[in-house]
Amino acid sequence: MPDIDLELRRITKRYGSFLAVDNLSLDIARGTFTCLLGPSGCGKTTTLRCIAGLEQIDSGDILIGGRSIADAPPWQRDIAMMFQDFALFPHMTVARQVGFGLEMLKQPRAEVARRVAAMLKTFEIDHLAGRKPATLSGGQRQRAALARALITEPRILLLDEPIGSLDFSLREMVMFELKAVQRRLGISFVWVTHDQTEAFSLGDLVVVMNRARIEQVGSPADILERPRSAFVAGFIQGNNVFRGTVTAAQDGMVRIATGVGEFLVPVLNGSTPPTGGAVSFSVRAERITDQPGAEHANRLSVRCGAVEFFGAVRRYFMHQADSQILKVDQFGAQAARLREGDQATIGWRAADGVLHHGDGGSP
Amino acid sequence: MRWTTRAALMKWTLGSVAVGFLIYQWLPMVTLGVLSFSGPDGGTTFPMNGVSLYWYAELWEPSLSADFKAPLLRSFLLALACSATTAVMAVAAAQAVRGEFRGNGVFFYLILLGIMAPGLLVGFGVAIVARLLGIALSWSTTTFLVHVTWTLPFGFLTMLAVFNRFDRRLEEAALTLGATRVIAFRRITLPIILPGVIGAALFGFSLSYDEFARSLFTTGADLTLPLTVLGQFDRQLTPSLYAVGTLTTLFSLTVILLFGGVMWLTRGRARRPA
Repeated sequence: MPDIDLELRRITKRYGSFLAVDNLSLDIARGTFTCLLGPSGCGKTTTLRCIAGLEQIDSGDILIGGRSIADAPPWQRDIAMMFQDFALFPHMTVARQVGFGLEMLKQPRAEVARRVAAMLKTFEIDHLAGRKPATLSGGQRQRAALARALITEPRILLLDEPIGSLDFSLREMVMFELKAVQRRLGISFVWVTHDQTEAFSLGDLVVVMNRARIEQVGSPADILERPRSAFVAGFIQGNNVFRGTVTAAQDGMVRIATGVGEFLVPVLNGSTPPTGGAVSFSVRAERITDQPGAEHANRLSVRCGAVEFFGAVRRYFMHQADSQILKVDQFGAQAARLREGDQATIGWRAADGVLHHGDGGSP
Repeated sequence: MRWTTRAALMKWTLGSVAVGFLIYQWLPMVTLGVLSFSGPDGGTTFPMNGVSLYWYAELWEPSLSADFKAPLLRSFLLALACSATTAVMAVAAAQAVRGEFRGNGVFFYLILLGIMAPGLLVGFGVAIVARLLGIALSWSTTTFLVHVTWTLPFGFLTMLAVFNRFDRRLEEAALTLGATRVIAFRRITLPIILPGVIGAALFGFSLSYDEFARSLFTTGADLTLPLTVLGQFDRQLTPSLYAVGTLTTLFSLTVILLFGGVMWLTRGRARRPA
């Protein structure tokens, strides 16, 4: 299938008794910007290293451009990789290491020189050609590493937390530069990160991983608005997760009894959970109001705790009766009614609850 | 006493100990060096009888009692061979341990056994085994092997320390850029660990060059330099021994400086922006 760049078919990787990647399958269409997102130790970097061939998978298959490369060594896969801290060769000049990939392809020297010069120009580092990595700034290293990885025009670029080592002020700029490069070249990027801001601003496809498995695959909007599991909802900023049991089901809604009350949650897709079954659902913090009206069917008594400010947003940390924290976001422009210590009744529309379908075995 | 005063006092105390140690280390060699320039009638202790190069000239005169030239050449060749062998094997062994194969802990201690085992007994054991197997003892075979068991652990530890600081991802980056493992080693790993390899080679050279205990029972008829020097002590003590000592010390220093120079040059090349 020429329109699929990468297929992971039920790949598994173990280190001794530790399961690092568990039966993971994923298809990546040509030219997709994919972000593997998850907490540290979830297997995202191991997955990337398996694609690169730096780790051998124990079972399953990996196809790049329709060709199985599970048994091919790293140097015979049509990939390039950008490492955290960039892994620039300390003893080579920028020009030399950018040309390294072409040298490995036994290109004639003049051809290497020509393409290196063009590449350095593209990334606006031609003035650094003769410099060693130790003398470069973080942003310059990042460009040198990118030029080095892209010069052989690989089908897929694998990036392992590629901006994690950059100064915070530089990250946003570099992020959008990388996105522009990916769009221009039309090659697939597989970007590993634990930072959801990166994943949601860059990814065409976001793959949320937890405990060696994929929790959810989808567009950023899918994952933000329709988390499939309590893990995804809890991992994504700004969600409130509730757990309970189904007490009734009617008209595309289920009634769920939790430790702090009963709530109505819509069943959007998937099957209606059985009455008495344990379920979880989530509500985004900005969908909750501290002045519930008739349309806000779900209500809850809370005590107002700390208040934080994120740019234009004001976030309240409310204490529920079971002492769990509930996050409520309001625009700063809206007048603040609540102070720390106040008792309040908050509410949300039944339609704003998201029932989780993919909880499976995860907590 | 304020803590800054105490710190200053401690600094001077430790500094004095260090200087005292350096004097203790170098004074005997300087004494030998000075005495080696005695006149032809000179004795082996102070006061000196004149100043001359007589005893150095004496070294080059063929004499039945003590000819240092052949042993010197043997020790030099032996040290060179140990140096090269140690460097290659130390890199290979450290690479293997870095790969964490099954039983690498045992392997580590087995190699280090070469440092801990008493040299005289190891040499004697080799001599016995060689005799049992009918292998003729020689400085270039049996002595060489025993020396390597002694020099290798030092080179091995050096290389382990070097690899400990080596960023493995540099090799991985080379692999993803199309380099095979052999090319990645040659183009990336080796240039970066080169100063360590030179250090291992240096250990191999200097430890073999003046090794006595492991040579004593293993050389057969043709002796190495340290054995010849000790033999001469038994016979007759003349300032020519001091001359040998001074020459070999200078020679070792030259070798070390040479290695150091190469190391400095390669480092300079790695650092200098072209």
